Amino acid sequence: MKTKARINRFNVIDRLFHLSLMITFLLQTATGFSRLYIGTVWGRKVNSVVGGYEGSLQLHKWVGVAMILGFVLHSVYLLTRIKWRTPLKSILGEDSLIPNFKDLKHFGQQVRWIFGLGPPPRFDRWTYWEKFDYWAVYWGLPLLAATGLMLMYPLATSRLLPGWSLNIAALLHEAEAILAVTYIFIVHFFIGHLRPSSFPMNEAMFAGSIPLEAAAEEKPAWVARLRSERRVPEEGPAAPGRWYRVAYFVFGYAALSCGVYFLINGLLYARHISLH
Amino acid sequence: MARSPVILRIFAMLASVMTAGALILWPLPAGSDEVASAIRRYKSQEVSTGYYEEFEVLPRRNRPFVEVTGVQGGIIEYSPSAAKVRSRTHLADSHAGLDFYEFKTCQSCHPEQAEDLHTQRANLTCRQCHGGEPIASIQHYNSPMNPIRKHAYVCAKCHEGANASFGGYIVHAPAPGSDAARKNFPLLYATYWFMTLLLVGTLAFFIPHSFLTGLRELFAREKEVENEDESTH
Ligand code: HEC
Ligand code: HEC
Ligand code: HEC
Repeated sequence: MKTKARINRFNVIDRLFHLSLMITFLLQTATGFSRLYIGTVWGRKVNSVVGGYEGSLQLHKWVGVAMILGFVLHSVYLLTRIKWRTPLKSILGEDSLIPNFKDLKHFGQQVRWIFGLGPPPRFDRWTYWEKFDYWAVYWGLPLLAATGLMLMYPLATSRLLPGWSLNIAALLHEAEAILAVTYIFIVHFFIGHLRPSSFPMNEAMFAGSIPLEAAAEEKPAWVARLRSERRVPEEGPAAPGRWYRVAYFVFGYAALSCGVYFLINGLLYARHISLH
Repeated sequence: MARSPVILRIFAMLASVMTAGALILWPLPAGSDEVASAIRRYKSQEVSTGYYEEFEVLPRRNRPFVEVTGVQGGIIEYSPSAAKVRSRTHLADSHAGLDFYEFKTCQSCHPEQAEDLHTQRANLTCRQCHGGEPIASIQHYNSPMNPIRKHAYVCAKCHEGANASFGGYIVHAPAPGSDAARKNFPLLYATYWFMTLLLVGTLAFFIPHSFLTGLRELFAREKEVENEDESTH
């Protein structure tokens, strides 16, 4: 039995946050890594595209400030998402992204399933790797923001902290950027595009809704819970329009190719740079 | 005027030599060279501990008999193993007596110092910071690089308003993962290895995890297709 029913996964605000994160993240990658690799031919080439040595830094700083604003806005938005009448249930419940013991259990089941030793885990709304994705950004961004601000205002920083803290800040900034970029361009892109269940592209983050069938297959516990609460509508939200789909496919693949381009060149040229 | 007796002339000579020697060798009274300490520099009131960092006291006067090896052959060597000791850190010209100095680039003798951010990324030349000849040792009292004035004489040329603490930024930080960093800059070393472990750990977990999940999904699909085929037959 095939139905056209769909189920909401991300509202407009969630998607706008994700979209702006994508754009700012790629801009920071281009400006930041072209400066990190400025000693190499490739780095200079990319750097000249994104504004040159001075211009790219200017862009990097403004986009960084925009990301910090986005982070603050997102945190405020998070607070509004908590159901304040039942805060504990809302924060620790199944709709929340806070990791809990079930995630550990699911991980064990997932490993067993991978090796054919058991049934797949019955995920609820968020799988444990989706939760990790979320929190990776949520702690990586403040770290990059703090160290970035330190480097942006080195004199003010050195008034509060000893000068060598700038050495630490620069190293942390570079290392965390490398961690974020490799994680997103390898793991996140694989999960979003190459995994058989998402190939050629996991549309949830752009369409906002996914077919109910797919949801029931990937997140059975979630759909079952919604059903038992009678919160699954007959039809649900409309499927995304054709041209909208075309637009986000093009956009998604453009972002993917940017990422792969930076990943491959970054790896190729890695031995010509040093983290000083 | 009558010619002074020989004995008087010898006495005068001896006296002047001894005065000169005393002037050269006499230890300066402690505190006469005091500059506020690095930790509490510019505090108007300082309770002195009496301990001074090396760069805060004037270099001792040139002592005629004790020479830095390799610069000038003195009567008494600096130390029996002087050749192995890096002892150019308090010279007015840190390259005094080095062979072929004029014909080489800074990088050829100091490859490690050419790895820093200012050289590698900001594309500065060594001389923009270290200045023209002679290049004084960092710790020489009158060196522009001396930590008590480095921020004003060097950094502030480009970083407007640089303060002493800003000057504490280690321009030639050792490679963060190296043994040198472990000894001289442990926090940098720890940061480096912490972040490296985090990176390697995260990727070592999530790459196989995602890949195997993908692979397993592929098998699950195959099975489904088979099942569907069977049910339609
Ligand atoms: C012939 C090789 C050679 C060349 C060329 C050379 N140096 Fe040196 N330099 C040395 C040696 C040897 C020392 C003393 C050992 C040490 O302190 O590392 C030294 C010491 C120094 C010091 C003082 C180190 C301290 O501990 O206080 C500075 C600063 C310095 N060099 C900068 C430069 C700069 C800048 C250039 C380029 C203009 C340069 N050197 C070119 C060999 C060289
Ligand atoms: C941004 C200014 C700056 C530039 C550019 C610079 N140095 Fe230095 N250099 C310093 C400072 C400051 C120190 C004092 C120690 C420190 O902070 O690392 C120093 C120390 C040194 C020392 C003493 C040993 C040490 O590592 O502490 C050597 C040798 C040296 N520099 C060589 C060079 C050479 C060679 C270059 C060019 C490739 C160069 N420097 C470029 C600022 C600079
Ligand atoms: C000849 C000019 C010049 C001198 C002298 C100089 N710097 Fe710099 N410094 C730069 C440039 C250029 C950059 C790179 C800025 C950028 O990334 O665009 C930089 C970057 C830095 C940074 C990184 C801050 C950031 O925003 O990323 C620190 C810290 C720093 N310098 C410290 C020092 C210290 C300490 C001294 C004195 C020993 C010094 N600089 C001397 C030109 C100079």
